[in-house]
Amino acid sequence: MLAINTRQFWAVFFTKLVFNLRSEVSRTYLGYVWWLLEPVLFVTALYIVFGTFLRTRTEDFLVFLVIGQVSFSWFSRSVSNASRAMLGNKGLMNQVAIQKLFFPLLVVCQDLVKQAVVFVAMLGFLLYMGVDAGAVWLTLPLIMMVQLLLILAVGFVCAGIVPLVPDFRFLIGTMLTITMWGSGVFYSYEDVLLERHQNLFLMNPMANLIKNYRQVLLDGVQPDWSALAVIALISIGVILAMMWVFRRLDTTFARLALQ
Amino acid sequence: MMHPDGKLLEMRHVGFTYSTGIGFYGGKRVEALRDISFCVREGETLGLIGRNGCGKSTLLRVATGIFRPDRGELIRYCDRISLLALNVGFDPNLSGADNLVISCMFLGASRREALALHDDIVAFAELEDYIDQPLKTYSSGMKARLGFSVGLKMNADLLLVDEVLGVGDASFKSKAREAMMERMNSEQAVIFVSHSLGSVVDLCQRVIWLENGEIREQGEPEQVVEAYLEHLESVKGVGRPQQRERTE
Repeated sequence: MLAINTRQFWAVFFTKLVFNLRSEVSRTYLGYVWWLLEPVLFVTALYIVFGTFLRTRTEDFLVFLVIGQVSFSWFSRSVSNASRAMLGNKGLMNQVAIQKLFFPLLVVCQDLVKQAVVFVAMLGFLLYMGVDAGAVWLTLPLIMMVQLLLILAVGFVCAGIVPLVPDFRFLIGTMLTITMWGSGVFYSYEDVLLERHQNLFLMNPMANLIKNYRQVLLDGVQPDWSALAVIALISIGVILAMMWVFRRLDTTFARLALQ
Repeated sequence: MMHPDGKLLEMRHVGFTYSTGIGFYGGKRVEALRDISFCVREGETLGLIGRNGCGKSTLLRVATGIFRPDRGELIRYCDRISLLALNVGFDPNLSGADNLVISCMFLGASRREALALHDDIVAFAELEDYIDQPLKTYSSGMKARLGFSVGLKMNADLLLVDEVLGVGDASFKSKAREAMMERMNSEQAVIFVSHSLGSVVDLCQRVIWLENGEIREQGEPEQVVEAYLEHLESVKGVGRPQQRERTE
């Protein structure tokens, strides 16, 4: 029994999305510039550590790093924002009967808008660095779609668990860092891993997605469609399951927010 | 779905329990509501009185659908039941005007309706000069005025009002009180929670007295309020409220 119907849900959702993006910008001096500055800072740090100090640099290390970092930070930022989304809206949950999936979905979409800008900038940077654009780049939106599904699946799970077991908040940050080490953001798994470990490595969906981004952008090779299909299907399954869980626990979340 | 008797909302033997903590350390179960049965009809103003922590706010949240009852049945015969809470969905970084729109929408208005109400709400809140400023620059009184004005102008089949008449300075307070009374005296159905027993007797056609999550008495305002006052007199200085009232 919900007071806010589907139409109203989406109307509020999109209004709130636009307002939130605006409000986020008004909080800082540089505003929208941060959307680009943040990944640039990260890439610079990783480049100095791995490219200069550790000298793991190959010829195209910079573009290689940018692709890995941009796609991984999208995942990690969205998931950690989603996991905080429910706690951040306790007050609202106790004033309005609204489907609670509203909150994680909102932050994921907010990040999606920002990520789209970053992605376009990244493609510009690749072209500037002399990477050849080919017809295979047209498959990029599909890979991004698969990553979005993965983010929604993991984000919903984290958003649902944190109010039930608040201790998970601490675990999520750690798990994201571990996932980063295991996703080949700053190393090429083909150079580093033993052959018998490589398949295991690619079972990590983020590692697999990053591999596909690089394959398409740097090598001009078609992505691994069957791997993408598996990631997409599992993600969709998890998303549907979480929609069911959120429906079941809808008022439990409001109650938990007060405890 | 309209009910032939003009019923808008009915509770039958509703019970609601929550736990006070999480994990290994906390977790005392509190029965916030027990065996609550009543109904509200069109055009009626129903008063809800009781000491702090007796379950008034919880009852309103169950009625809105924010909490689902553990036991019993909640039947709604209307679409829009709205809890008149202050500052719904306010974001300090947005302008007053943006907050107005989003708050109206959370309370059930479409974006167009919200924009159409903008002038009315701003005028009532007396915030013409500030409405485009970010909300974080507002004083708490200004915020409350905006929140109250949004709630006041919203349409709902059944309006749940939780002790909000006391916002703003003296002049705004009396204006707010008057506007709210006007609304209650009209065809609007209202459940009205208040500690101001005078307003309850003036405004309500029927009153429910809650004590420890149970209905102690329900009926004519004068009688119920009288009995409640007698009870308060008899327990004065003896009992402490058993639960803390949790409001946002």
